[in-house]
Amino acid sequence: MPYEILEHTADLRFRVTGRSLADAFAEAAMAVCGTMAPNCTPGEVERRVELEAEDTEELLADFLSELLYLADAGSLALCSFSVKIEGNRLTALCRGEPFRREKHGGGEEIKGISYSGLSIYRQGASYILEFIADV
Amino acid sequence: MGDGVRKITEYEWEVPVGFTPGMRVPGRFFLSEGLKKSLEPGAIQQLANVATMPGIVKYSLAMPDIHWGYGFPIGGVAAFDISTGVISPGGVGFDINCGVRLLSTPLRVEDLRNRRELVERLYEAVPTGVGSKAALRLSNRELEEMMVAGSRWAVEHGYGLPGDIARCEEQGAMRGADPASVSQKARQRGLPQSGTLGSGNHFLEVQEVKEVYDARTASLFGVTKGQVTVMIHCGSRGLGHQVCTDHLRTLEAATKKYGIVLPDRQLACAPIVSPEGKAYYGAMAAAANYAWANRQVITDLTRKVLAKLYGIGYEQMPLVYDVCHNVAKMEVHRVDGKEMQVCVHRKGATRAFGPGSPDLPTGLEGTGQPVIIPGSMGTPSFLLCGTVAAMEKTFGSTCHGAGRVASRTQAKKSVRGKDIRDQLAKEGIIVKAPSEASIAEEAPQVYKPSEEVVRVVDAVGISRLVAKLVPLGVIKG
Repeated sequence: MPYEILEHTADLRFRVTGRSLADAFAEAAMAVCGTMAPNCTPGEVERRVELEAEDTEELLADFLSELLYLADAGSLALCSFSVKIEGNRLTALCRGEPFRREKHGGGEEIKGISYSGLSIYRQGASYILEFIADV
Repeated sequence: MGDGVRKITEYEWEVPVGFTPGMRVPGRFFLSEGLKKSLEPGAIQQLANVATMPGIVKYSLAMPDIHWGYGFPIGGVAAFDISTGVISPGGVGFDINCGVRLLSTPLRVEDLRNRRELVERLYEAVPTGVGSKAALRLSNRELEEMMVAGSRWAVEHGYGLPGDIARCEEQGAMRGADPASVSQKARQRGLPQSGTLGSGNHFLEVQEVKEVYDARTASLFGVTKGQVTVMIHCGSRGLGHQVCTDHLRTLEAATKKYGIVLPDRQLACAPIVSPEGKAYYGAMAAAANYAWANRQVITDLTRKVLAKLYGIGYEQMPLVYDVCHNVAKMEVHRVDGKEMQVCVHRKGATRAFGPGSPDLPTGLEGTGQPVIIPGSMGTPSFLLCGTVAAMEKTFGSTCHGAGRVASRTQAKKSVRGKDIRDQLAKEGIIVKAPSEASIAEEAPQVYKPSEEVVRVVDAVGISRLVAKLVPLGVIKG
């Protein structure tokens, strides 16, 4: 399973696994966007994200926050992510489709990504990301 | 419970300095033995973390609905000295001015025939859930005006009654709002969402005043037994979420710049008097005002549905009151016998100003402010009154709701939305939501009993019970 939801009383706490850091970031994007707009299939919508941060934790918070903004402001369902990370710089190509209630409705709105409980570590050959999303 | 946490009175607990390194003041929280069982260690740790922040006054506090959040615990209250203290988005949350308002009606419960139709009509009228769009089309200029004037903007544009304004905390508009500190991204998100409920625990509920504990105060608030009321719970939508995200980042840099050491990055903060602190305050106040306008527009939609369906006048549905429960405010409090200007952060906590306090509506100066505590879906909500004890003990604050005991994932595993809907229907409560999952996540059994939480605040004296409101119909996001 690319991601699981850990126990947290009020919010959604995700744990995401990837073979590389970029892969784990893409899985985190899937987890967040899939929670808000389920049943999305990559369509004609394309958005490019370029970010630079102080450290990897900030890069993750910024990346996921940017997706929340893109989905909300553009009324989009996003579901395919190609991520590249070099140092503390990230570029991502995000694909999806215009949000339609009949298809993508019933999801859960994520208000923000918290630094509380945000951690990035390696386990064997895998990269693990943990973060709490306010819902 | 963690090391050194000790009970000091029947309902009061203290977390001593030293519980976590760097604490400047002790932590204090209010809890009954019954509620103590569900308290998570993470929540106490977060309470202790807040006590390490510069300029904190007296205590890091938490109300009886305390639970594990991010940054501050949910139910957390902390006051910071205006000249030496800090301001932090972690003490407010992403949903700035998430709040609750209570609307009265001239209807009695026996007048509510066709209750299912009422719920359907409300669901059609009020946009709910992810991706919902408002009927209201704002220009950039109007959004800017809304961020300054809040409820007043909405009333002046035809979305309410003049009397509504005085019945909002801060008259529905915080001073010091600075739209210039609100990013383009936040504005883009805010433009299409004013007048939408959102998702999660946000709801609109038709209720019956089931019990009145204090008839005199209830009558001053405009509430009588058997009356139908409407409760609206929502916040500042994507605009507020983006304001928090944007300023969290600038305050992270400021934390380093001002040499502040914190145990949790989510507590990122800056001195209240610094440019970064002022910019956050101005943007937060703008988002808070947007939230008041949002609840005002939803109030208008609600009144129109009720007026049409039951042939009652729009003006026969005055606002009882509107409170916010995620906010930071500049207030004057008496600390150790002296008046002090402080910035009070309330994160999942409600202001509960007692008699003689500033900012009370005309006619309630000697009574205290109405305090509205929503229950979870299917459980009672309560109307309370602010007290002098709240001014003395909690910087004029009380609880904000029932407080969760089970996670959303546990809820979805243990209950099915359909079963909850059927069970509530048997009890005469009609629920309408965009998905079964959203009903399961907010099922009554995942929350602490609201009765017990308000019993504790009443027993401690930080607010006083006035009336109990039970649900008849709910629309959820």
